[in-house]
Amino acid sequence: MNAMKPMPRLTAINRPFFAACDAGELKLQRCLACHKHIYFPRICCPHCSGGDLEWVPISGRGTIRTHTLVRRPQHESFFPEAPYTVLAVTLEEGPLMYSRLTTPVAEDANLIGRAVRVVFSEEAPGRRLPFFELA
Amino acid sequence: MGPGYEGVFVVGAGQTAYEKRTEKPVQRLIWEAADLALRSAGLGFRDVNGLGITCFTLGPDNVTTMTEHMGLTCRWLCQGLYGGASGISAMLQAARAIQHGDADVVVVLAADAFDVSSHMSMNRNPGQHDYMGPWGYGAANGVFAMQTRLYMQEFGATREDFGRLCIAQRENAMLNPNALLRTPLTMEAYLNAKPIADPLRLFDCVLPCCGADAVVLASEKVARGLDVPLLRILGGGEMHNYPADDIYGFSAGWEMFRDRMWSTAGCGPREMDLVQLYDDYPVMEFVQLEGMGFAPRGGAGKLIRDNDCTVRGTLPINTGGGQLSAGQCGASGGMIGVYELVTQLRHEAGERQVAGAQRGVVSGYGQVSYGRGLSASACVLGRA
Repeated sequence: MNAMKPMPRLTAINRPFFAACDAGELKLQRCLACHKHIYFPRICCPHCSGGDLEWVPISGRGTIRTHTLVRRPQHESFFPEAPYTVLAVTLEEGPLMYSRLTTPVAEDANLIGRAVRVVFSEEAPGRRLPFFELA
Repeated sequence: MGPGYEGVFVVGAGQTAYEKRTEKPVQRLIWEAADLALRSAGLGFRDVNGLGITCFTLGPDNVTTMTEHMGLTCRWLCQGLYGGASGISAMLQAARAIQHGDADVVVVLAADAFDVSSHMSMNRNPGQHDYMGPWGYGAANGVFAMQTRLYMQEFGATREDFGRLCIAQRENAMLNPNALLRTPLTMEAYLNAKPIADPLRLFDCVLPCCGADAVVLASEKVARGLDVPLLRILGGGEMHNYPADDIYGFSAGWEMFRDRMWSTAGCGPREMDLVQLYDDYPVMEFVQLEGMGFAPRGGAGKLIRDNDCTVRGTLPINTGGGQLSAGQCGASGGMIGVYELVTQLRHEAGERQVAGAQRGVVSGYGQVSYGRGLSASACVLGRA
């Protein structure tokens, strides 16, 4: 039996994000003052430093900004899955989200600029996280 | 031009042995580096009234309890929280304290005791732990693999460009008895090394290890009574969370303070006899060279191609081997370059001495969070 994967520390600020993921929905904070979307979950808007935020559903679409093939994960729980592709995805709504690619690709593939869409993967009992597949 | 650092001198530096493992607690490594640095200055612990420490593995101790451990009574303390940018930042802050009479002799040091597993599993900030960790991002190697791939794509840099710098540093390390990696590195071995997080391979990544680095700063009154080479802080600066809205801006802020730093120093990149860069990964050395004005954005690869970066070369970089070849003692990676620059400017670097070195610059980088490091620092030192 492999060790449990490291899961996010839940707080009053980030709980709505992970609860939405568990329900198969991608939601981000949006600032009521400057109307920009926010990720990762913040105590206030990092764009304008305003404090009034709402949670809104987003498209789940984005493009790959950069990526790497992780061969030596930071935690033993990931060793059986390595190597795998870790992505930086520029979401259609603006923010950058780090995630994983579910679509099998060649090890030397250049994926920068490729379109992706969100899928959800159960990474711990009852805890689904947003992954991405090539669109 | 900013206010200068008149009335402050760097009077000593110390470095412990770098070891892959140690039985010693990190607190002992801190004492050892402080002791070596004070001896090199001709000072003792009873002369110290200021202390700055950066150390990831210090808890539950802190800089205050370290004064208790070492029997120091201090009127100025600083606990660095900016990782590899902290050592230089603490030096600049200590210099201001000394200028204003708040301290006379300050030891600034950094230390850690890491191996590969403990480094991988260290406690991390929310940006990494909560929003990268659950996706198996590969720790710092994954973060900088993504930076490296995008840098290569945007500026046409090649693996060979990074390799040239890594190989030059290895040649420097071969002249440094305290470097952990002292066997020759060929381009073929660099290019074909074990892949870690593509495009990064083994020799793009530092070797986590155990050790400490320290410097001693003193007021003019104290310094003039010492029989050691005196160095001045000619200029410096720091920046945090820049650019605030772009993880892939290939900067952490050096270009935002470099003009002020160089104008305060009264010299520029061309006048540097040697350069010490924060080399957690070669791509960040490129970013620092560009940020401090040694090359235009995207031009560091050409700079490295056009220069010899060994201690006998036209642009000596990381003259002790840097973290990539000497080892990275955690937060002490932010001070290995400070120790090396001070030692070179004192003309005490032995076989790896850069002949006649008068001035050099050292940069720091750290506090890796969501996809990048948040803190940048640098300072220019020169013989008084």
